[in-house]
Amino acid sequence: MMYFEEALRVLLANKIRTFLTIIGLIIGVFAVISIDVLGHSMAGSIDELLSPLADDTFILFPATVQGDFDKAAMRLGDLTTIVATVPNVTAAVPLGGQSILMRHGHNIGNLHLYSDSSNPLANQPLAYGRLLSDDDVANASDVCVINWKTYRRLFPEGGEPTGESVYAGSHRYVIVGVLAQPREGAINATFGGDVAIPYTTYQREYVHGDRVFAAQFTVANVATMPQTEVAVINAVRALRKVGSDTRYQTFDKAQFAQGVNSVFNAVTLVVALIGAVSLLVAGIGVMNIMLVSVTERTKEIGTRKAIGARRGQILLQFLFESALLSGLGCFIGMVLGLVAGGAVNDIFIVKLTGYAAPPPFAQALLITGVFAAIVTLAFGTYPAYRAARLDPIEALRYE
Amino acid sequence: MNETGVAIDFIGITKTYKSGALEVPVLHGIDMRVMRGEYVAIMGPSGSGKSTLMNIIGCLDRPTSGTYRLEGEDVSRLDDNALAALRLRKLGFVFQGFNLLARTDALKNVGLPLFYAGVGSRERARRAMAVLEEVGLSDRARHRPSELSGGQQQRVAIARALINDPAVLLADEPTGNLDTKTSADIMAVFDQLHAGGRTIIMVTHDENIARNARRIIRLIDGLVVADDVIQGARSLTGS
Repeated sequence: MMYFEEALRVLLANKIRTFLTIIGLIIGVFAVISIDVLGHSMAGSIDELLSPLADDTFILFPATVQGDFDKAAMRLGDLTTIVATVPNVTAAVPLGGQSILMRHGHNIGNLHLYSDSSNPLANQPLAYGRLLSDDDVANASDVCVINWKTYRRLFPEGGEPTGESVYAGSHRYVIVGVLAQPREGAINATFGGDVAIPYTTYQREYVHGDRVFAAQFTVANVATMPQTEVAVINAVRALRKVGSDTRYQTFDKAQFAQGVNSVFNAVTLVVALIGAVSLLVAGIGVMNIMLVSVTERTKEIGTRKAIGARRGQILLQFLFESALLSGLGCFIGMVLGLVAGGAVNDIFIVKLTGYAAPPPFAQALLITGVFAAIVTLAFGTYPAYRAARLDPIEALRYE
Repeated sequence: MNETGVAIDFIGITKTYKSGALEVPVLHGIDMRVMRGEYVAIMGPSGSGKSTLMNIIGCLDRPTSGTYRLEGEDVSRLDDNALAALRLRKLGFVFQGFNLLARTDALKNVGLPLFYAGVGSRERARRAMAVLEEVGLSDRARHRPSELSGGQQQRVAIARALINDPAVLLADEPTGNLDTKTSADIMAVFDQLHAGGRTIIMVTHDENIARNARRIIRLIDGLVVADDVIQGARSLTGS
């Protein structure tokens, strides 16, 4: 390709000028791509962290100060009523938890005991045994499922834990399952706590009266979960005979993801702004240098026209030069951005979350290509047009 | 003379430049005919209009009025792209300053017109090598202009002008940047091309150079004042 060859020759003949011109593009694309890579891996990590959370459940708890809590707190009977009366709600489980000293043989740990059901808060893989069953709940059995940390604490020598007994005070629980070790990472999202026992057992042993601190609701249709949450809050207010000044809080996976997304949208907007500004600045640089190049080579253009080059051919030649200039800048920026973004990802995000998102190569290439095309067309066309419409006689006379 | 033997036919060509409200007439009505195979020198002092005449012959410019036929085809009213196509097919230019692409070797310089004609790179190289051979520079094909002497650069430029097998070779002060000996070398090339049947038109202000041609057309103030055939090479007819 002769146009390409000639454009390359011109750019190589003016190395410093070429480099100075494309610095703006390099920086702009570098900023956009590196932040794109980071955003991508952050989003991927958070998705991954949240992945054990069930999509079809939400948690509800009173958002009140201590004194009003008694009035606002749900009762066990409320949950049954809500499942029976509020559409879309298929199950309701009371939640509770507390720190407690637990013991297995000589090994002791201050652990967080919490209530759970056969439909746990989060789907986490098991290392040993099984999860709590419907029977465990129905019979309020003295069984528990412990997490990996608890297993390491109470069983430092390892060994089969299921069927072993652990004690909370004088109360004995039989271990039926152990959750698998979570991924290595600084942020370990733990859902619930260390030791899960059936909520019926928890209510019997640790709750005075039938007060419920918080409850987990399961819905049939995930799409209408927000409306169901409102309906449940209204039902609770009616049952507790409190007004709208008594506040309740709900929490579900979609809400959390939305919160994270809004942060990323803001980041994306900032990146887009950086991109647009650098595009403009770099584009003006490209245009400037191309105009200089056209002026410098006026005589050459005249010669080309004299020997028979048509306008379109001259236009194409200079467009190729702009395209190569901006393509080169954008490509270098992309490579640096991928390297820097990947490095920050490895150093921080992977260490924090233990999750390595694959770099968004296709997206990076697309962004880079669009950048280069916009700069070429928006800022390379006018200089190329100027070159193409030069009068050959004037151009040949130019010194 | 039959029509098919006519290379260039000027009938009442005028050229007037407009500079603001001012009209500057440069050519006042030129009638001129150059046959195929002729070797013509155009002479005249500055301001005589010889450059303008050259530009019109070379299809770089259009006459204000009159008719210009190039090999029988009326080209006086063609648009820019049609003129470019005509220059590509029928004209070859040799400039005073050689006008070669600096960072490009001789072979590629010579092949450039073929690139604009859409000829593939292998064919370009083959034909460029053939014309370089013709001007005696095939051993310098891979040299850049900066690695060639002035005379060699002008030979490369001549090769470039010849690669499209043009109807007319136009040379504008082809020896203006060269010393006497090199000028003689270039004139020898022109002689050889003339002997081979090329039509050559050369603009010069140098009487010695002009005497290499077989016919001298003299211009003063936009009019042809003399048109002499030189009887025998290098014999001066008075002006």
